[in-house]
Amino acid sequence: MEVDREDGRSQNQLRPLACSRNILHRAHGSASWSQGDTKVLAAVYGPKAGTKKNENPEKACIEVIWKPKTGQIGKPEKEYEMILKRTLESVCILTVNPNTTTSIIVQVVNDDGALLPSAINAACMALVDAGIPMKHLAVAICCCVAKSGYVILDPTKLEEQKMKAFAYLVFPNSVHSVLPEGSLRVEGEPIENGIITSVTHGIMSVDDYFYCLERGRAASVKLSDFLRRNLQQQSTDSSKAG
Amino acid sequence: MDARLANTWRLTLNEKNFIKTALLSEIRIDGRKPFEFRNISINFGREDGSAEVQLGQTRVMGIVTAKFVQPYRDRPNEGTLTIYPEFSPMADPSFEAGRSGESAVELGQIIDRGLRESRAVDTESLCIVAGKLVWAIRIDILILDNGGNLVDAANIAALAALMTFRTPECSLGGEDGQEVIIHPPEMRDPLPLILHHLPIAITFGFFIDENVVVIDPIHNEEAVMAGRMIATVNANGDICAIQKAGEGVSQRVIMQCLQLAITKAADITKQIKAAVEAYNSERALQKIKRETTCVGNSVKGDQNQTLDNKGISELVGKYMERLKLISVESYASKILMLRKSNH
Repeated sequence: MEVDREDGRSQNQLRPLACSRNILHRAHGSASWSQGDTKVLAAVYGPKAGTKKNENPEKACIEVIWKPKTGQIGKPEKEYEMILKRTLESVCILTVNPNTTTSIIVQVVNDDGALLPSAINAACMALVDAGIPMKHLAVAICCCVAKSGYVILDPTKLEEQKMKAFAYLVFPNSVHSVLPEGSLRVEGEPIENGIITSVTHGIMSVDDYFYCLERGRAASVKLSDFLRRNLQQQSTDSSKAG
Repeated sequence: MDARLANTWRLTLNEKNFIKTALLSEIRIDGRKPFEFRNISINFGREDGSAEVQLGQTRVMGIVTAKFVQPYRDRPNEGTLTIYPEFSPMADPSFEAGRSGESAVELGQIIDRGLRESRAVDTESLCIVAGKLVWAIRIDILILDNGGNLVDAANIAALAALMTFRTPECSLGGEDGQEVIIHPPEMRDPLPLILHHLPIAITFGFFIDENVVVIDPIHNEEAVMAGRMIATVNANGDICAIQKAGEGVSQRVIMQCLQLAITKAADITKQIKAAVEAYNSERALQKIKRETTCVGNSVKGDQNQTLDNKGISELVGKYMERLKLISVESYASKILMLRKSNH
């Protein structure tokens, strides 16, 4: 079923992606991620000595600070911080640097829909830029379910407001490895079929949710390729400079 | 824990001595001459009233928003202007999240004095209904990267954002002539703010030897300098505000600095105006593109519409619908608010 979206995209089409790393000079790692008009800036400082009071000192600790564009910090910002923290904790290798804190600061530059997935993508790129050890990257995407039942990917803010329900999904990125095929599978399935985080808003049926997962997974493959190309290109550039 | 971690970045004694000794021979560690400003680049965001300024390694974003409030009792005809500086922890490892330190408050006060007390922004034009409804302009200053001299960069960001900000046009109407009608942007162009002049802040750093003065210090130099003066001047030669702290400096040096500040302010004013001009002409071009598609659609008949025209008319229809969605909600809520306040 063909759906007319305002900006002329098809159901499964993502907005143009742009990403750049190492844009700030004082931060240890920084990245800017934009999907269409949504733009997010992430900076990483770490690892710093010491952990917070209630955190386990035998592992590294991750601290997330979310800064909205204007206005004061309220409950939605705290929720985003918590979701980001849990997602990144499962992606980073926490046992390498115990009793340290890595701070990630996310600044919203412009919000035009799919804000949390953009922030997760930006935070991952910033962590790579800072050299924090990670198992794999997290690739985030937003899927919406409309009242008539069709699913669209990467909505703008207006589309998000009109939809019946939407879900933010985070998948691990696809792995290219020199290890033998079987060793990277978890219970017989490749890693990229797993799901790290899922946040839903609104009501959707179980079938709709699984449909979203399928579409999201397919799109996450495209996103992983984009990330990989971006990272490889920038690493060869910096080696030329050095 | 944060206080301990904040001390992780400190200049060593060797570095400090190196900076001071080099300055005695008029050499700065980034290769500039003592009275040379770093390169300024001004970029604008998607929405009106958002500007990002890069001054060397320093990066600051200024965002302007406006809403309706009741005016102060003693100034019933004037709108309000407030500045909210945010020293984001991403800019510097010593900036803490949450409570801003004294340097953030100082930055806010300096920019506030430059803009409000010198009457750079015309607050009387922000009045809609005297005594009842005025615009409250809010300027958020986000510090993204601290490469030194945050005040100057933040000031330029605030000015650039103010110059590109637009408020929707409002008029009085309705049955009793007291209702405020907000015109959506596609019916009447939103209005720019009236700025009488551009106050530019120029920072000078003084070092132990009285004759050593630098302009636009970087963060290494800021850690070493003994005194600092921030002069807010405009291109007409008016001094809007002066803030000086630290070691005492002779009057001759202060007068020299003020003369220099006025020259630099003229350059920076030209640069800001050129950047805003470029942004405005691009914005006008985009508006013209949208309007030609509207006109084209109405001229064609509706029987033999090609796919292109149908696509365009649908896009335009959805664009109008989108603007209506945003403006009808705000229109309805504002009418409700005004009616409530009248009762």
